[in-house]
Amino acid sequence: MILLLIPSLFALLTLVVPRNVIRVFALVGGLASLIYSCTLLCGFNQDTTQVVTLFQLGQNSIGFSGKMGYDGIGIFMVMLTNVITLIILLSNYNREVSQNKLFTSMLFLMQAALLGVFISMDGLLFYIFWEISLIPIFIIALSFGESDRKAALTKFFIYTFVGSLAMLASLIAIKSYANSFAIEDLMAVELSAKTAFWVFGGFFLAFAIKIPLFPFHTWQPNTYSKAPMAGTMLLSALMLKMALYGMIRWMVPLAPEALNEFQFPIIVLGIFGVVYAGIIAIKQADMKRLFAFASISHVGLIAAGIILFDKDNITAALIQMFNHSLVAVGLFLAVDVIERRMGTRTLGELGGIAKLAPKFAFMFAALSLASVSVPFSSGFIGEFLLIKGLYSYSWVIGLIAGTTLVFGAVYTLRAYQLSMNGAPKITSFEDLSWNEWIAFFIIMAIIVVIGVCPQMIIDLVGPSIDQLLETYKTNSII
Amino acid sequence: MKIEQLVPLILLLPLLGGLINGVLGKKLPKKVVGSLATAVMFIAFGIALNVFFQLHDSVRIDLFTIIRLDSFSLNARFLVDDLSIWMTLIVTGIGSLIHLFSMGYMSHDEGYYKFFTYLNLFIFAMLILILGSNYFMLFFGWEGVGICSYLLIGFHYSDEKKGLLNSIAARKAFVMNRIGDLGLLIGLFLILSTFGTLEYNEVAAKLTELSPSNWMLFGITICLFIGATGKSAQIPLFTWLPDAMAGPTPVSALIHAATMVTAGIFLVVRSNFLFETPGAQLTQDIMLYIGLATSLVAAFIAMRQNDIKKVLAYSTVSQLGFIFVALGMGAYTAAIFHVTTHAFFKALLFLGSGSVIHAMSDEQDIRQMGGLKKFIPITHLTFLIGTLAISGFPLLSGFFSKDEILAHALHHNAFIYGALAFSALLTAIYMFRLYFVVFHGEFRGSDHVKSHLHESPLNMTFPLIVLAVLSVVGGALNIPGSHWFSHFLNHNVTGLDKVAELHVDNSSLITLMVTASVLTIVALIGAYSSYVMKKQLPVSDDKITGWAKLSANKLYFDEIYDVLFVKPIELISKLSHQLIEVLFLNNVVLGVAKSIGRTGDLVKKIQTGRTEWYLLWMVFGIIGLVVYYLVKI
Repeated sequence: MILLLIPSLFALLTLVVPRNVIRVFALVGGLASLIYSCTLLCGFNQDTTQVVTLFQLGQNSIGFSGKMGYDGIGIFMVMLTNVITLIILLSNYNREVSQNKLFTSMLFLMQAALLGVFISMDGLLFYIFWEISLIPIFIIALSFGESDRKAALTKFFIYTFVGSLAMLASLIAIKSYANSFAIEDLMAVELSAKTAFWVFGGFFLAFAIKIPLFPFHTWQPNTYSKAPMAGTMLLSALMLKMALYGMIRWMVPLAPEALNEFQFPIIVLGIFGVVYAGIIAIKQADMKRLFAFASISHVGLIAAGIILFDKDNITAALIQMFNHSLVAVGLFLAVDVIERRMGTRTLGELGGIAKLAPKFAFMFAALSLASVSVPFSSGFIGEFLLIKGLYSYSWVIGLIAGTTLVFGAVYTLRAYQLSMNGAPKITSFEDLSWNEWIAFFIIMAIIVVIGVCPQMIIDLVGPSIDQLLETYKTNSII
Repeated sequence: MKIEQLVPLILLLPLLGGLINGVLGKKLPKKVVGSLATAVMFIAFGIALNVFFQLHDSVRIDLFTIIRLDSFSLNARFLVDDLSIWMTLIVTGIGSLIHLFSMGYMSHDEGYYKFFTYLNLFIFAMLILILGSNYFMLFFGWEGVGICSYLLIGFHYSDEKKGLLNSIAARKAFVMNRIGDLGLLIGLFLILSTFGTLEYNEVAAKLTELSPSNWMLFGITICLFIGATGKSAQIPLFTWLPDAMAGPTPVSALIHAATMVTAGIFLVVRSNFLFETPGAQLTQDIMLYIGLATSLVAAFIAMRQNDIKKVLAYSTVSQLGFIFVALGMGAYTAAIFHVTTHAFFKALLFLGSGSVIHAMSDEQDIRQMGGLKKFIPITHLTFLIGTLAISGFPLLSGFFSKDEILAHALHHNAFIYGALAFSALLTAIYMFRLYFVVFHGEFRGSDHVKSHLHESPLNMTFPLIVLAVLSVVGGALNIPGSHWFSHFLNHNVTGLDKVAELHVDNSSLITLMVTASVLTIVALIGAYSSYVMKKQLPVSDDKITGWAKLSANKLYFDEIYDVLFVKPIELISKLSHQLIEVLFLNNVVLGVAKSIGRTGDLVKKIQTGRTEWYLLWMVFGIIGLVVYYLVKI
């Protein structure tokens, strides 16, 4: 429970601490969460398949168990959340918003909601945290976003809210066959083919919108580009991971009977998105929009990998999720660094920054390369495994998915070169401040560490995935 | 020390050099940076030599497991055999010389430390590619080489005039390589799904045991070959290599002549057991004809290029095509032999051109040069040796290595022999044209450039001299009679011992050699008479017509690709954004939202707040229900 308490406490306390210490206070909070989750990670027995239970309610009439806990996958997601939150706090440190009470408080609330999502072992609790997470992100985007943000945000809110309602309907439907909302009870339910179809479909709608998968993505480019940096980072690095995580933990295990029907369409949507968004990204002029489409392209591959639902592909998807979070945060930070100093992020108006800001150029270049999955980066491993998995499913799918290698190189390098290379169009460009530098450095360090020894993640999540697959298989056989 | 300890050291040295220079290089003086980067290379070369002399049987070195999943695992493991150690010698040996050369060449560059960092890292990636014991390691190095080459081609990215162009050339190289990489990746997956492993020796062993279908073998080998066309610049993926000349000249020498472009050839030789299966017969033929076409096309284009580096770049493409013809005929040792001699003289020629460009204050157009032999005598002499070697002048290295491929071709098919001999003739013609235009006649540049003309310092001329010596004597490695190199490679490289050696009888050997010599000398005399005696000069681009115009415009390959691929994809990108994204999907979503709103509007009208209307609706409802039940019964 301390896991949830730390960010919740900081969310409240930021409202009372004086303005001038807020940002330091926030960093302390981010660090505290991270350190605490590290101790949990160290204490976690990697060979166990048991869920470490943190909290549980007694029996009650509505069947709300309130169960919270984590296994290998859960602690992995917790680590992701806490690392990314700290990076977001760091990158905002020298921006005006970091001294804003509301902003900092909402960031911590967001962290708490996300952690809640990842450690919920109860369907209703999962839904509650899932919905709570919408509030802080909406407030952050609404209060600190760009001037013409209202239409985009309304669309985003309604769109994701509709999806969530579908998920709630699914949860209630499946609960009507079970004793409680606890995940093991829900998993034990055996559904008829038709019910399973609708339950699966409800979850899928919620997740497809949040990820977002083609064609449910129309809210995403606008919301990403209108939200402030922290909002875009939260959306791309963490919120969409809730949906990918949800596919692994909730959607398939709860209604495995419908996996066969949904598998092929989801793979097709995912892979289509890879190519479609990749091609669109090639000609985007707004860097933020460009990376927004790139994000759709990357997560399409992850979603397609998850839905294959075997151990290798779920592992690969988890590695790639971590990678995508880091790369997305890094790239959006880079865009923000440019926008703050140049007053624009349109590619045609940029150029030649590299010569003026070598530190920034190095970090941005390294990130761009990580984004195109070069060796020694986590993306190299993740992409290799995912494309391999999709290739084993069908060579045509594998080949189409593989085009991300080519398109990714085209749009990422284009964005980098048009903004950074060539003759400088300006006379000065302030290089990275210390907090930005550290944020970039942490991102790159983790990317390289995972790229060199991905086995540590495989060992961490492996037994839990085995367990997940085992229960899901026995259930689907019964 | 044992081989098991020495080989990781060979890899570690350039990595360390790269890391140290990358982190600290900015603060260190240039001399330290350059010396460190060069020293690690020379030490690595020394260790490689040591391993070379120790090595008898192939050695496998396990480092660690990168990934262990249920269905397969990927290992960081090395395989040291005669093929990999030979390639290591080339990469570290030529690499050392080029590092040394760069210390002089790059001495005025701001990004000095970055340059050496990239060079060291490039060598590291290339060594992983060569020394890995499985296809995953090869792919790892393969991608690493690609990225280092990207960084080095676009090295002068902030240049006032050409910065963005350099970057675009780098991107072109990277993207084209990536297309090939996709082929290689699919090939890897095919191998993995067929054999369940990516280790070379296990694949070779399981090949007889599993006997996969011919179609599968064709699929695997063609995918590997597609990968090879990217890195080794074959049709259709060759247009990046000439553009890659945007990089500093030592990069062209190292990457685009001596090492990176040989990766595709190495891949085929390494996988020889796959290419020798009956199913791969078709792939071999494809490889042969693609190689032949590339060789001729590139040689044709090189005839009318006026940029000294472009001529050499196309000659590289042409020579690589030559080597692929050899691979297509199953002449693996001949291929590696030509790779070796080509590495010598092409590195020599590129470094020589670097020395020329250095002397010419960065001018690369040969029409601005002329009569340089007086001003830069050492460069002139070594460049002459390089020209003679690549043209196949009797008794120089290129003569023997080309001859071996030609002998295979004659044995294979007279047409291929004829076409190859023609390509060799073209090579001799354009190389002598280049040599005479640059070094003979009168100086044609500006007085300003003339006043700066100077011979390069010792650290630049020394590598030229070493490479010149190697270019002269390199042919002795596999001289007819001893065939030391063939025996050496066939000794412990998986699969190569099973490939039948071609035995050419003495009379046809002499016929071959005499023909080749005559062709070269004819080309020499022809070029001499037109460029020195008649003092012809390359005319400016707008005055040429006919075949020459085709050659000067590179057969319009870039323009054709632009129309066929680049423009359509850009169009699709814009159209999908405007039509599908903004017009269609957006309106559908908004339409759904609006229809909900409209439904609300409709229903709203019923809510009038007047009781009599509600009563009326209620009566209608009751009537409706009654009717429904009556009908149902």
